[in-house]
Amino acid sequence: MPGLLLYFILGILPNFIGLGLSFVNTNNFNIKNMTYAGLQNFINILTNPTINIAISNSFIFAGLTTFFKVGTGLVLAIFLNQELKTRNFVRAVFFFPAILNVVAVGIVFSSLMHPLGVINNFLGAIGLETLAQDWLTNPKIAIFSVSVIEIWMWSGFTMVILLAGLQSISKDYYEAASIDGATTFDKFLHVTFPLIMPYFNNALVVNIIGGLSSFGLIYATTQGGPGNATEVFGTFVFKSFGSGRYGEGSAANLLLSIIVLIIVIPTYKYIAGKEVEL
Amino acid sequence: MVIGKKVRHYLGEAFALLLSLIVLIPLYMLFIGSFKNSAEASRFNLALPTEWNIIENYTRMFKLGGLSTAFKNSIIITVTSVVILIAISSTSAFILQRRKSRFTGLAYNMIILGLVIPGSIIPMFFISKFMHLTDIPQIAAILNLVVSQFPLAVFIYFGGFKGIPQQIDESAFIDGSSLLRLFTTIVFPLLKPVTATIVIISFMNIWNNFNLTLYFLNSPKTFTLTLTIYNFMSTYNSDWNLVFANVIVCSLPVIVVYFTLQKYIISGMTSGSIKG
Repeated sequence: MPGLLLYFILGILPNFIGLGLSFVNTNNFNIKNMTYAGLQNFINILTNPTINIAISNSFIFAGLTTFFKVGTGLVLAIFLNQELKTRNFVRAVFFFPAILNVVAVGIVFSSLMHPLGVINNFLGAIGLETLAQDWLTNPKIAIFSVSVIEIWMWSGFTMVILLAGLQSISKDYYEAASIDGATTFDKFLHVTFPLIMPYFNNALVVNIIGGLSSFGLIYATTQGGPGNATEVFGTFVFKSFGSGRYGEGSAANLLLSIIVLIIVIPTYKYIAGKEVEL
Repeated sequence: MVIGKKVRHYLGEAFALLLSLIVLIPLYMLFIGSFKNSAEASRFNLALPTEWNIIENYTRMFKLGGLSTAFKNSIIITVTSVVILIAISSTSAFILQRRKSRFTGLAYNMIILGLVIPGSIIPMFFISKFMHLTDIPQIAAILNLVVSQFPLAVFIYFGGFKGIPQQIDESAFIDGSSLLRLFTTIVFPLLKPVTATIVIISFMNIWNNFNLTLYFLNSPKTFTLTLTIYNFMSTYNSDWNLVFANVIVCSLPVIVVYFTLQKYIISGMTSGSIKG
């Protein structure tokens, strides 16, 4: 029971306090100095051009990374579900980035994506100098570059989730399908995919939540910059915190929570409704 | 036909190895970069260093980095958090699973909601400050890290307790065992694999945590390893060789753990997303 108490104080209560803080003026953590602000914090953040960038970046980042993490994860999982001698090695290698911390990964990619870095060198070496970019310092493409880092980091993790799904399917189904004359593609569409749906759903939802509330990787690579080009909710909240605009930070966080709920719960329920019962 | 199959198989193997280069090349660059001199490291290429400054780079980095304090902090914060987390999440999940009432149902749903909603760190900081926990930042960090891992731990334990028939509790009570004894000597030991999974997940999440610790631990004295990398990077960003060496040494503990317990780590870290 003390556990529940701790969770209520530091886990659930903050959400309500956050709701409260969203409606007050405060620049320190002193209750006496707070005044009621009404919707002012929400008006402030919603009229702040930065939040628009943060909202659209959060969506771009979450959408792109979820799509590619689940897509790459699925292709890798199907590929590594074959009997290959190198299977365990490759699986371990692809999972590896997930055990590193975001700052370490951020630094590795800051150097790879450096204007003089390996990626541009490689493009130069194969005669595609024109494609060389200032990956993380060009405001137009920086958000896509950090998405690539996130995809590199977590595709292997997603692959393992989906691989567990593939390995849960009994071979009998494939044999039965073969007897019925199903092609490889038919088998995937009508046997594999419906049966890994619960795993697919979890992978999807975990990645959407992670994408929308991402902070660490972006903060470690670009701090939301150049300018505000890679600002997302997480960096916006942290900057509000850093400059003492606690009310605005809480309001932004509340907005994020609502967005996450509105997107995640219907998605999860919709896919769960399509799962087949065995 | 048979030969064709064999060729395809070897092509598959070769392709698999080729794919793994996507992960391995960046790591190779990190590794080799940490042996170069400053000028060569900032050229960021994959070439071998012309002079191998292994000892020189690493000793300089150790002198500048404050790594021993950070390592100690990381160990203290992670171990304490994981121990507290296991103690409170297992007991909470047990009570929530065994006592069916409107309150426990509501409490469980609130906790599960915590799996979806991102933590509101500013109010968490606010409450911690209000309760004077932030006077000792490590304590505030530990408690908030525990809370951040609590929903997933309760969720996994809850599933585990479901699998233990209630008849076991009843027969233990008939034999005169107390609730505490029942839990510590019978039920908890039955869930060793579940506990192992939660230890792995929370250990990795807390050890690598950057989001929460960045808010709560803001002086070099309280930095964890993850925070020192960030700090080192901002301070010595012109000496990429030292930055690389710093990243390697700070990541070494998890890398060693990963190589020794690889199978358990992979299945442990993903099981939270599989059972859901």
